Amino acid sequence: MRALRAVRRAAWAALPVAALLVLASTLPAHAQDAAKDPAYRAFPIFGSRLAVWAVAQLHLNFAAFILGVPIFAVIIEVVGWRTGEARYDWLAHEFVKLVFAAFSTTALLGASLLFLFIGYYPKFWTYMTSIFFPTYWVYALLFFAETFTVYLWYYGWNWLSGSKKWLHVGLGVVSNLFGVAILFIANAWVTFMMSPAGVTESGALKGSVWEAIHNPTWMPINVHRLIANLVFGGTIAAAYAAFRFLNAKTDEERARYDWMGYVGNFVALSAFIVLPFAGYWLGREIYAFNQTMGITMMGGFMSWLWIIQAILIGILFLGSNYYLWLGMERIPGSERYRKYVPYMLMILAIGFMVWATPHSLIVTLDEARAMGGTHHPFLGVFGVMSAKNTAVNLMILTTFLSYVLYRRANRLSIKPWVLTGMAIQWAAFFVAAAIVVFYGVYGYFVESIVRIGFSVYQVGAVLGAIALVMTIDVPMFRGARSTGVIRWGQIAPRSQYVLILLAVTFTWLMGLMGFARSGIRQYWHVYGVMRDTSVDAVTPALGYAANMITLVTIVFFALMMFIFWLGGLSEKGQAETHGAAPVPALAGGSEDTD
Amino acid sequence: MRVPVGVKVSVFSLLVMGSYTYFANSIPQIESKPPEDLSLEGGNVTPAQLVEAGEQIFRTKGTCEICHKIGEKGMRAPDLAGVGARAAKRRPGYGAKQYLIESLLDPGAYLVEGYPNIMPHVDKPPIGLNRSELWAITAFLESLGGTVDVKLDDIPKTAGAAAAAGAPAELKLPGDPKAGEAVFAGKGACIACHKAGKIGASPVGPDLSQIAKIQTPEYLMGKILNPAGMGTVAGYPKGVMPPMFGQTLTAKEYVDLVSFLLTLK
Repeated sequence: MRALRAVRRAAWAALPVAALLVLASTLPAHAQDAAKDPAYRAFPIFGSRLAVWAVAQLHLNFAAFILGVPIFAVIIEVVGWRTGEARYDWLAHEFVKLVFAAFSTTALLGASLLFLFIGYYPKFWTYMTSIFFPTYWVYALLFFAETFTVYLWYYGWNWLSGSKKWLHVGLGVVSNLFGVAILFIANAWVTFMMSPAGVTESGALKGSVWEAIHNPTWMPINVHRLIANLVFGGTIAAAYAAFRFLNAKTDEERARYDWMGYVGNFVALSAFIVLPFAGYWLGREIYAFNQTMGITMMGGFMSWLWIIQAILIGILFLGSNYYLWLGMERIPGSERYRKYVPYMLMILAIGFMVWATPHSLIVTLDEARAMGGTHHPFLGVFGVMSAKNTAVNLMILTTFLSYVLYRRANRLSIKPWVLTGMAIQWAAFFVAAAIVVFYGVYGYFVESIVRIGFSVYQVGAVLGAIALVMTIDVPMFRGARSTGVIRWGQIAPRSQYVLILLAVTFTWLMGLMGFARSGIRQYWHVYGVMRDTSVDAVTPALGYAANMITLVTIVFFALMMFIFWLGGLSEKGQAETHGAAPVPALAGGSEDTD
Repeated sequence: MRVPVGVKVSVFSLLVMGSYTYFANSIPQIESKPPEDLSLEGGNVTPAQLVEAGEQIFRTKGTCEICHKIGEKGMRAPDLAGVGARAAKRRPGYGAKQYLIESLLDPGAYLVEGYPNIMPHVDKPPIGLNRSELWAITAFLESLGGTVDVKLDDIPKTAGAAAAAGAPAELKLPGDPKAGEAVFAGKGACIACHKAGKIGASPVGPDLSQIAKIQTPEYLMGKILNPAGMGTVAGYPKGVMPPMFGQTLTAKEYVDLVSFLLTLK
């Protein structure tokens, strides 16, 4: 058995090497070619842009997964450590197992991307190196540190248990710090291409590399990607659990993966709620950096991209809520909240429709003449930012309400101040909704520069309400009376397809946002500094981009399924080191909704 | 027959992605193409042609239309209807063309009341208009209610210089592409190994049909004179391209040939 395991590990190590060799064979034959520095070389058959696009997007997907999942895995491990509940420890281990399996693929794709840049965009890469060379070393060292720490974290799970658990948790924290540092460095390169700083008009570095790193969109992207990685990691982990649930043979297995899927979705949803706010910040910084870029992004050739984004995010909101509502059916006592579901669904559906309403409609010439333009006399009112900001903020509030109801579904507070507490909570919801609607309507009567500032009040009201409601909720339901235990595993199978829908949709959305981030540079490698003079300088239309995103997403999920399958092989035939103890929650075995 | 979960999940996922892809393909499809540079220096241009060229730049490379409307109050920037007449009265001591040129090159120098200082310098990247383009766009703006009297010499010689930093290297060769094509197919015998658009079909060397899009002029010139020194394209045998063109071609033939290759886009 040991020999078999050793062979497997050797095979894992050999896989990246073999793939790199295959990749290298597609690169220009002679190393000295690079020294001659033609501006571009053409990748066989597909062309250089498609090759870089596909590998970059795949690398980003895997990187987001392996950076996002450890963040909540270590939090779950801490919960298990402090509460002494084995099911949390099992879950944290299960999550890290997924990361571990995807680690080498991420590195392999990163190396492939590097080779593609060096081989097919040599001038561009030479320029980037002239700016960022000092960061390469730091990046490489951090990657080593991250790899070894995660390996130690994973393999040391049993070794560093019991009294040494604090050390193990520390390894998890440190690996996350390394991971975040890696993300920030890579973001410096990417954001420099969008919003270069610290360079002269001809592109030469003026002062230290820090000025180039600390460019206008660096920190907003750091925050946005960090949150998005959590959402992504959560959705993929939940989809994995859903797949295992659907394949489960026993009630115990179903219970375990139902719970795992719930936690994955909970993590994704929690982070997803704040993601639009990070997006606003990023958008504002893009406008502040360069109005032309901002306007091109929102009002130029990319304007329809945001309609697609609205549809995807609407599906994510609807799906997340639907999953929670389905999940409430396995919680005794939740019946009292079912009456709210139609109203919440109505708000979400209306919000979805408003958000997805384009400012200019696709119409025939006759229709345009009849309407007096491409703006519909009635629907056109919903196509502007005032309406969209209002819709998304109300959708966030509604989703938060769904979660609050789910959280208290089988609990009855016994605190004497429960009525006051609940009254304040409902008031917080209504006041926040009123502020959101007020500024949404008021926005139609003021100049755009004033209107942009209103979104801050709307966001502030929603975040304030969330903070206030949770501040009251946690103590109010501490020691609450139970109306019954959650029947983990007894959830409709369609709920698991919802989890898969969320994972697929979010992955596709990431691809779309990657296209948006890259596409707003248009015909520039480095915006305003280095022009793209290649055959691929044209920024493609959305249909072309969508085809590409779908292909990459299919490849990503195929690779993920293969990797998870490989990881699952190690479970077969061996005792469940972390699987036997935890049975996280048999049907009817848990009172916690968290 | 029971369908495996993996198949069901895969079909479901493909349907989800397929619906997104279908939607994205059913909305307006707009590409963003790199703008083409306009050069009017040394040419005879009528005011009408200049205005027409300026309007084209206004709507495309200049990206002016994103913020400025004509005959409609803009939210981010002033309405330009009648600006040709209005410009002469904006700043004391400034005629219409001086004011318009300053607005393009140093937009923050004078702000129309009620509008923020957000306009970029249009002669610098990423917009990067060159002198000819600045000349044309000034003429277009003058034509909006005023008289077109701007000359190329009114545009500062330094204007547009910064744009060149980000622009592709522009090499103006005195060669004749037609004659170069004859060299390619005749004396140079390039056709024996290379394809170039409709000419030739030999697969011995790389297809040059789009060579000007992927290679720089410097590379092409170097490759003809010193093929081995410029490296070998992946997948082709090393040392096959003859190294004697520097001796067999005349200077004119060489320049003509390069000029021809630079038309292959």
